[in-house]
Amino acid sequence: MSFKSAVITFPGSNCDRDALCYLQDLTKGVVYNIWHEEASLPQVDLVILPGGFSFGDYLRSGAMASKSKIINDVIKHANNDRYLLGICNGFQILTEIGLLEGALIQNKNLKFLGKNCFIKKKFKNNFNLSIKEDQVLQIPVAHNEGNFYCDNETLKSLKNNEQIAFEYCKGEFSNSEENINGSIEAIAGITNKKKNILGMMPHPERAYSDFHPSQDGKLIIESLIS
Amino acid sequence: MNEDLILQHGLTLDEFKIIKNYLNRDLTMEELGIFSAMWNEHCCYKTSKKWLKKLPTENEIVIQGPGENAGIIDIQDNDGIAFKIESHNHPSYIEPFNGSATGVGGILRDIFTMGARPIATLDSIRFGLIESEKTKYLLNGVVHGIGHYGNCIGIPNIGGECEFESTYGFNNLVNAMAVGHVQKDKIFYSKPKSIGGLIVYIGSKTGKDGIHGASMASDVFSEDDEDDKRPSVQVGDPFMEKLLMEGCLELMSLGLIESMQDMGAAGITSSSVEMASKGNVGVLINLDKVPLRQPLSAYEILLSESQERMLAVIHEKNNNKVKEILQKWQIDYEVIGEITNNKRVVFESNNKKVVDLPVDIIVDDAPEYDREFYIPRKRKGKDFDFSNIKLEDIINTLLFNLNYLDKSWVFNQYDSTVMGDTIKEPGQSSGIVKIHGTQKVIGATTDCNPLYIRINPYEGMKYTVAESYRNLIACNINPLAITNNLNFASPLDPNIMGELVLSIDGLKKAAAKFNTPIVSGNVSLYNQTNQIPIKPTPVIGMVGLNQDLKKINSNKFCNIGNKILVLGKQLEKNLSPYLLQDQNLASNINEYNDLEELDLDYEKKVADCVLKMSDLKYIMSCNDISRGGVFLSLLKMQYKDMGFKVNIPDPIDLFCEYSAGYVIEIRNEDLNNVTSFLGKNGVGYFEIGEIIRENIEINSKKFDYFDIMNNYHNNFEKIIN
Repeated sequence: MSFKSAVITFPGSNCDRDALCYLQDLTKGVVYNIWHEEASLPQVDLVILPGGFSFGDYLRSGAMASKSKIINDVIKHANNDRYLLGICNGFQILTEIGLLEGALIQNKNLKFLGKNCFIKKKFKNNFNLSIKEDQVLQIPVAHNEGNFYCDNETLKSLKNNEQIAFEYCKGEFSNSEENINGSIEAIAGITNKKKNILGMMPHPERAYSDFHPSQDGKLIIESLIS
Repeated sequence: MNEDLILQHGLTLDEFKIIKNYLNRDLTMEELGIFSAMWNEHCCYKTSKKWLKKLPTENEIVIQGPGENAGIIDIQDNDGIAFKIESHNHPSYIEPFNGSATGVGGILRDIFTMGARPIATLDSIRFGLIESEKTKYLLNGVVHGIGHYGNCIGIPNIGGECEFESTYGFNNLVNAMAVGHVQKDKIFYSKPKSIGGLIVYIGSKTGKDGIHGASMASDVFSEDDEDDKRPSVQVGDPFMEKLLMEGCLELMSLGLIESMQDMGAAGITSSSVEMASKGNVGVLINLDKVPLRQPLSAYEILLSESQERMLAVIHEKNNNKVKEILQKWQIDYEVIGEITNNKRVVFESNNKKVVDLPVDIIVDDAPEYDREFYIPRKRKGKDFDFSNIKLEDIINTLLFNLNYLDKSWVFNQYDSTVMGDTIKEPGQSSGIVKIHGTQKVIGATTDCNPLYIRINPYEGMKYTVAESYRNLIACNINPLAITNNLNFASPLDPNIMGELVLSIDGLKKAAAKFNTPIVSGNVSLYNQTNQIPIKPTPVIGMVGLNQDLKKINSNKFCNIGNKILVLGKQLEKNLSPYLLQDQNLASNINEYNDLEELDLDYEKKVADCVLKMSDLKYIMSCNDISRGGVFLSLLKMQYKDMGFKVNIPDPIDLFCEYSAGYVIEIRNEDLNNVTSFLGKNGVGYFEIGEIIRENIEINSKKFDYFDIMNNYHNNFEKIIN
């Protein structure tokens, strides 16, 4: 049975095409592109909320998009235990909806950060099954608000429930940093308790093709399909 | 009309007389505003036109040369590349964040106006010395602004240049370039197709921002709005531009639009006049229909430079469909006029004609000047004393000079990988992106050597074009065409005018030799503040192609043990301007020796060899040689744990500049093949050393590898903070 997926486009999304190509090339299944004003989602295995500046980041990154018409169905989709992946702005939208805990605040140096970063998996879940323990992935980040923040209690529960999917780490370049944006415990991506929703700041859809400097982003889709 | 008013509008009294004699009547204020906007340097190139006409602008691949929103070249199949560079110097000095952001916004509109989807941006930015707090403020603001706009709209920034030099202290330069991909059968031009076509306004509402001489406008027209003197720098909204871009591209892909023109400098005036002139038709526009952000007079509407606005011509039958699509993108849309057959530009407001002018007088009769210029005097030869210069000191100077350092601090604030097609990110010899859905890649670079051009504008410009050329060649990209941004001080000074004239001549010579025509460009004059003219800065943006992304050269070392060769011809120490400047040997511009004549045939010959050797897979990695010589080129090639060991009779030669200079990395087993290939083709080479692990060695002297690399990568950020 082929894997079906969908990418939601909000006004200001700018990684929607990248996410569509990522899914088309790696899943070989049907991929839908859904406009934010649609009332319903088709039945799919995975929904991606792509990166970008939905609604221009006005008010707060992700805040306006979290009130879009399609979001009701996105929530339903997740409640049915299907996969939901928020990348960058998509992660911010997921925290604004409340499907993921914590918040993404401005990077520690208060500047936009666009570069290759290195992450490794922390706790196992269906999104990172194909990734080995201690395997360092090289995946680009591009964000202004990627600094993951939560209170101590939430952090404790994220750990206890093994919800931390990825953390930033040092890479093979001598001047790479351990925690690029100041996130608590270098958190780069978290899941919900049921682990069918993942939010992550790095962009796996920019690291999968032969011509990309790294193909590590493939591993996420491979994990879900295998 | 009173003389002060005319002069305040930037017209000379002679120019005004021409208009008045032609019309044989008095002008309305609105008409005066139109001439003010259309007869300035920015719109009519009155100083540079005579010289720009000499540039090569055509060859077999040029689809659209200068004169449209952007130039377009043919890269085979149904693919075309639209590109252009434009300056936003003055606004970026007044308000660095918004000034630079709207510079990016403006150049992106030039690209998608033609039906092309932007696929990359680049920039060329110049500031004064970093010791000044003002420079730090400008640098931070400009980089933030460029990043903010490009990141939000989601176009990767793939490269550029950033220089610090004292003459830019009170007149920084911000030139932004954009590259777009267009299907050759879906190119849109500004020329309207049919009489009776509807003129429609698409995009943001019009406000007071950017009104030419805003202060004067409000003084004359709005006696009672003291509190309403908005700043005259435009404010950008990249989110709106993203919607506008998607909306316009959708309309164009469905064939719902006849022609389009962006409202850039001089807003609705310039865009509508251009339309009328290109189509040899007239326009009738009702200013009362223009969507407004606040109450504005007709004069203000005509001259507003509010951002994110387009003017299009559509057939009446498509009106509803166009409206529907733009509603989806939440974009303002209004029919404001029509194309007429009387070749007049007519604007109405409150049932009154406020402007009624023949198109001819505005465009064809625009002034053109042949300004006086001086040719620089012949330079006296001078021998500099290098005896006190130590190798360690030179390296140290470079590692604490912003112009040589790794500029990640700048480009890490830009999204360089959005759209998923980036092959080579900023900081390498050129930026490279793939054409979506194909194996083709486009390389692009921006360059200028102002010091060379001040020493010898003609030769200096040849070197500048050659540097862009080498940047592309080093990546195995075949250079195709040029866009230029001529930034100069006041052309009323015959010395400056001489620099303008001679550098255009050098550009012509080099572009003709390399078969890289100039397809678009921009001129920015009067770049001087407090009587300090900027160095002549004609920036080149060059674009090239490789049909196969797998053939691209790396600019970084590949393997320990591989040989390093230097190709080309070194400039002697006495003739290397940046070496002399940066080692404080030449203290003023008169001391430099004249530039060595650049042999363009040799430049081309070496380039052809590099391309050939790349295709033969002899070249493992390659970098061009520019400011900082072979040494800096090697530092830029450093990767992971790799360093280098070199031997050279005079180590100071490592820092000299080059003509046709490249550093190449080859496998040991290819050495014989490579050297015999080079020998056969008459290309000079020098087997300088090899790649070693975690070491830098010059003539057996060991340097602290980690210290040098750490300084190279991190000092930029330390110095600017």
